[in-house]
Amino acid sequence: MMKILAIAWKDLRSTARNVPALVMMLAAPLALAALLGFAFGGGGGFDIAATKVVVANLDGGGAGAGQTAGAAIQTVLTGEGLEDVLETSTRSSAAAARQAVDDGEAAVAVIVPEDFSAVVYGGDPAARSQVEIYENPTREIGGSIVEGVVGQVLADINGARAAAAGAVALAAAGSDPIDPRVLAARAAEQFSHDGGVSAGLQIGQRAPRVGATEEEVSVTGLILAGMMVFFMFFGAANVARTILTEDRDGTLPRLFTTPTRHGTIIGGKFVSTFLTVLAQAIVLLVAGRLIFGIQWGPLDAVVLLTVVTAGVAGGLALLVIAFTRNAAQAGAIGAGVYLVLALLGGNFTGTAQTGTTYAFIQRFTPNGWLLHGWDTAMRGGGAADLRWQLLVPLGFAVAFFFFAVLRMRRRFA
Amino acid sequence: MSIVEVKELRKQYDPPKGVLAVDGVSFDIAEGEIFSLLGPNGAGKSTTISMLSCLLRPTGGDATVAGHSVVSNAQAVKETIGVVPQDIALYPDMSARENLVFWGRMYGLSGDTLKQRVDEVLELITLVDRQKDRIEKFSGGMKRRVNIGVALLHKPRVLYLDEPTVGIDPQSRRSILDGILALRDQGMTILYTTHYMAEAQELSDRIGIVDQGKMIALGTHEELVKIVGQAARVTARVDHSLEAMAERWREVAGVAQVTIEEDEAVLLTDDANEVLPRLFEAAAAAGSRITEIDVREPNLEMVFLHLTGRALRE
Repeated sequence: MMKILAIAWKDLRSTARNVPALVMMLAAPLALAALLGFAFGGGGGFDIAATKVVVANLDGGGAGAGQTAGAAIQTVLTGEGLEDVLETSTRSSAAAARQAVDDGEAAVAVIVPEDFSAVVYGGDPAARSQVEIYENPTREIGGSIVEGVVGQVLADINGARAAAAGAVALAAAGSDPIDPRVLAARAAEQFSHDGGVSAGLQIGQRAPRVGATEEEVSVTGLILAGMMVFFMFFGAANVARTILTEDRDGTLPRLFTTPTRHGTIIGGKFVSTFLTVLAQAIVLLVAGRLIFGIQWGPLDAVVLLTVVTAGVAGGLALLVIAFTRNAAQAGAIGAGVYLVLALLGGNFTGTAQTGTTYAFIQRFTPNGWLLHGWDTAMRGGGAADLRWQLLVPLGFAVAFFFFAVLRMRRRFA
Repeated sequence: MSIVEVKELRKQYDPPKGVLAVDGVSFDIAEGEIFSLLGPNGAGKSTTISMLSCLLRPTGGDATVAGHSVVSNAQAVKETIGVVPQDIALYPDMSARENLVFWGRMYGLSGDTLKQRVDEVLELITLVDRQKDRIEKFSGGMKRRVNIGVALLHKPRVLYLDEPTVGIDPQSRRSILDGILALRDQGMTILYTTHYMAEAQELSDRIGIVDQGKMIALGTHEELVKIVGQAARVTARVDHSLEAMAERWREVAGVAQVTIEEDEAVLLTDDANEVLPRLFEAAAAAGSRITEIDVREPNLEMVFLHLTGRALRE
């Protein structure tokens, strides 16, 4: 262990003395985030992709009704005019609908309760029912659309119920025939006074991943998260590349002539790489908070995400080094790998409002998962809400490190 | 008693068609001995040392150091040896002391023992007053001294030095050679590779001459010189017709061998004093004039020439 720390300490000191590398690792991501943040004016600017919605219509129907009220909601959500922004499918149960959101298959679940038509078509004007909207808080735009559409339907139904109640009350008040004009006026009055979503039919919102206190996220924060992960990959590569420069300069072969095991030497290199990018991330997180006022999220989530991001960066850097011959080749190939991963993973575009295909592709990259994690954390998600965004990249990191060590053991045997 | 035993050591890169760098080399080194591997660049000296350092895996044969096999017990071998590579293998952005401390840790030293050994080595390589300066500010000779010092930190029983005097000034070279002799006097066993004949001759108790991956001769300096029959080497230049002149000299009594190397003739003879007048006479008879002549008594260069037909260029 002492040898691992000695190797790591030696590399860390060397990195600290490398001013160009420090500029690349720290100043570049901050500058890019600032530029892009200003370019987007701190607000939106990304195209909105169709939001995936699942509907669980559990409505059991009501007396005398042809179409259930729940079916009316479903019809509106799949109707013309919304197909560009909502991609709707159905689920047979509330649990299945919620699970679809939990698994990321959909952004929003609309769950119509069993008593919905009974309340709508029933004779009790005081009866209440609630349509549940279960949404992934990181897809806030799609969620708002669904909420607006469902809310409008409920407001219409509430209005109709109020109008009907008014008409019934008028009819019950006297024995003379009712003037149709008076009846229409009373119904309209009731509609406007007692209709709306605040009446008997309501939306019940649930956001299981981060709770109901979703935070506003600045565009600069999302951009800096992307830049941070991207430049952490480069920072890690810069340190890991010392394996190849040491091989060229003769110090690595000399290390192999000492009674120090190969695994210890590679372990020392990984530790130095890991600690360097960890320090890089801490500096960027603090700078982001102080300069841009970014709220990174709950401490436990930020700590775990930072550690896992550093692990992925370190593992990937070692993997690239293991399969390249010299520092120049590692620089060129590494840059290509990191750039492709960044493009696929969403480092330059964010992950919150992306199309279905792109969101699918992002799942195959560690940075895609990490960026989802940072996004969720910035919206208030804690460590418990980030289990997959932590476990999957951690799996990537372990796999990268495993294959890197395997390759290096053969290469330097 | 032998502390290093090398048996039929062989290294082929990218077998079966790759370069055969070392081809069945065998030798042993007694404890406290300086043994030199002498040969031209590319002869296989560094590859041999790399295998004995457990840096390269032999493709055939084996070697033991203090009874430990380089093939099957590399870790024990590495604890026994110190290796001074041909090129400077230090961290230039670290000071001499920082380098020694780091490498000491890699040899398993720590605490007071490490500090004490670093101080002792700094004394030994006479760099106490420059210990805090970065290696990148050092001269070539000073870097070489630190390069050697690193290998001495853990007091190895066997020290490998791979051409440690390449590219340095005569004063630094003298200092390093004296240091090596002092280490031998302290009982350290030394395996030294060089293509400098004079160094091998001065330092070595025994010398192995290698060429094209093979050990072509092995013994003490005196034993090796006997291979060429105590012949002297005469090098001569003439004003014209060198090849015709060489043909005439081949017929001169007392001349054992004549070869041409670039613009001079190289002759081997048992008695230079007797032969020299005849060479001048033969030149005069052929209408040539000797413009330069040099006589050397038998040495390792001549042994190499005798064995390979080529000069061992310094």
